[in-house]
Amino acid sequence: MNSQPVQLWPLVVIAAVLASFILVGLINKSREGMEYGFRGRYIGRIGGGAAIASTWMSAASFLGIAGLLYLKGYLALAYVIGWTGGYVLLLVLLAGQLRRFGKHTAPDFVGDRYESSAARLISAVISIVISVIYCIAQFKGIGMLFAWLFAIDYTTGVTLGACAVVAYVAFSGMLGVSRNQQMQYFVLIVSFILPLMVLARKMGYFWVLPQFGYGEAMEELASDYGVKLAAPFASASLFQWWSLCFTLMVGTAGLPHVLSRFYVVPNIRDARWSLVWGLFFIALIYWSAPAYGVFMRLFELHAKSVPDPATARAIADMVVIDTAIKGGLPPWLIGVLAAGAISAAFFTVAGLLITGAASMSFDIYYRLLNRNATEERKMAIAKGSVVFLAAVVLMFALKPPGLIVEITAVAFALAGNTIFPAFVLGIWWGRANRQGAIAGMLTGFLITFAEPLFGGIVPVVAQIFPITSSAMFGAPLVIAVMIAVSLMTPPPSEEMRRFLAEEVHGHLD
Amino acid sequence: MERKDDIYTVNLFRPKKGYMRDEVVIILAILVGWVVVTFGFQLAIRLLCSSPQGCSLVTRFYFFNLPFHFWFTAQFLPLWFVILCLIFNVFVDRLTEHHSRRRDRTYE
Repeated sequence: MNSQPVQLWPLVVIAAVLASFILVGLINKSREGMEYGFRGRYIGRIGGGAAIASTWMSAASFLGIAGLLYLKGYLALAYVIGWTGGYVLLLVLLAGQLRRFGKHTAPDFVGDRYESSAARLISAVISIVISVIYCIAQFKGIGMLFAWLFAIDYTTGVTLGACAVVAYVAFSGMLGVSRNQQMQYFVLIVSFILPLMVLARKMGYFWVLPQFGYGEAMEELASDYGVKLAAPFASASLFQWWSLCFTLMVGTAGLPHVLSRFYVVPNIRDARWSLVWGLFFIALIYWSAPAYGVFMRLFELHAKSVPDPATARAIADMVVIDTAIKGGLPPWLIGVLAAGAISAAFFTVAGLLITGAASMSFDIYYRLLNRNATEERKMAIAKGSVVFLAAVVLMFALKPPGLIVEITAVAFALAGNTIFPAFVLGIWWGRANRQGAIAGMLTGFLITFAEPLFGGIVPVVAQIFPITSSAMFGAPLVIAVMIAVSLMTPPPSEEMRRFLAEEVHGHLD
Repeated sequence: MERKDDIYTVNLFRPKKGYMRDEVVIILAILVGWVVVTFGFQLAIRLLCSSPQGCSLVTRFYFFNLPFHFWFTAQFLPLWFVILCLIFNVFVDRLTEHHSRRRDRTYE
């Protein structure tokens, strides 16, 4: 990639897109201030859905899934299913009840429900770790994109990218830019699907709906070249597929930045319906993503330059962009695609760094260290935390431990092993108490990192709790631990049990 | 002590009468539809396949240009999740209205 020149047109498009987000944010801010008051305007169910989808879309969705499909074929669908199916769990088990409970961050819920500042601290730390892991994956995507854009090596690219993200967060924070998430979603979906349509048209496939058109490309791969991307369990066993899929599903329901989206619409009914729209908008991207991986394989075979497995793994996360380049798309259109990828990664990082920093400043610094802290002091701590977290993320991202989707999956496994059980039992079992929650979350943390910690000593651990998919057995085990410990210790206060029974589950009785 | 425990019991598998029981019935029905179709279908392909390289009726039969099992997982399942959420919301909306009316209370 380093032999390439600096990508001038893509850079111009990306700069224009990012600048327009800031500009529109500023215009909206002044308009909201005048017309709608400080609470912001009501965006409706579809708008709420677009907000959910744009919060969700990250480098993993935009770049990662196509890369994994290119490498491993059918296994990549475990991600597609995990990241859509998780919303069913979230909707039926948690969305309405959590809203009735009235707490929209994991530390707030865990701290209040289990009436314990220790449990609050643990869940705050876990949320921050989840954010950091998730950001490492985003930084890898940003780093590879920057390396390609400026024709520099990855290390310089990721460092430059990290500075750009922090600068973007600081700049929009300073100007008080309001985030227009409907516009974000619109930019993401158009920048992902338009290049795909042009590609499909150039290759002579059904281009109006490239989501179906890529089937012909798969057939060509299978019949002319014997590459069977659709072969079901070629690169992973049924158990590996299941456990990865299940892990991503339970992780979805426990991710820190998704939950707060239910609070952008005014009532529970609209929150539930906006989730359906959100899921549909997310599915639009996932229906299309495999096409990039399939086209890439075909281009390589047409050009008779198939990379060896190690090279393929190294380029997998850039497959979406490489496909557009190999397909001979005009530079401005490649720029549009890259702008979509950069925006997805930027906004995810911004969201995660800001919530992580807020958690450090409020849940850890204010609650634990200094109850007399002034607003300015808390604000200063939060700002410092953004830079600190970004530096930690950058340190890990310099030598990324895996593919974008693999790193992301670890964050999901951690959420599924800790926050998901604490939420589900907290809502659905009145007897769950603080000791149970603390024991459960600590067990979940250990289980998530069981493979690197104990896998070398006890090989069976690596098979039961693989690092990317440990929640298949992990989440049920943590739930069992929580139940056992809760039953051995005294029940939660009567006040909390009455609140659960009467407000959360009995609001209409 | 024990009596108070009974009054405020919240348990997914022993829901109290009224709104919660009706809601739990819907939740469990949706979850069954979610587990069976998602994980059951993968099990079915595995059982029908003699070799992992794609082999049986399911994988040779084409649908919308794609091998049937690939189409089912990549395109139908996300749609199925949207449908499940839709059904859930319709039923919960009805349930909420029914219970609000019974209580003679305005909606939410």
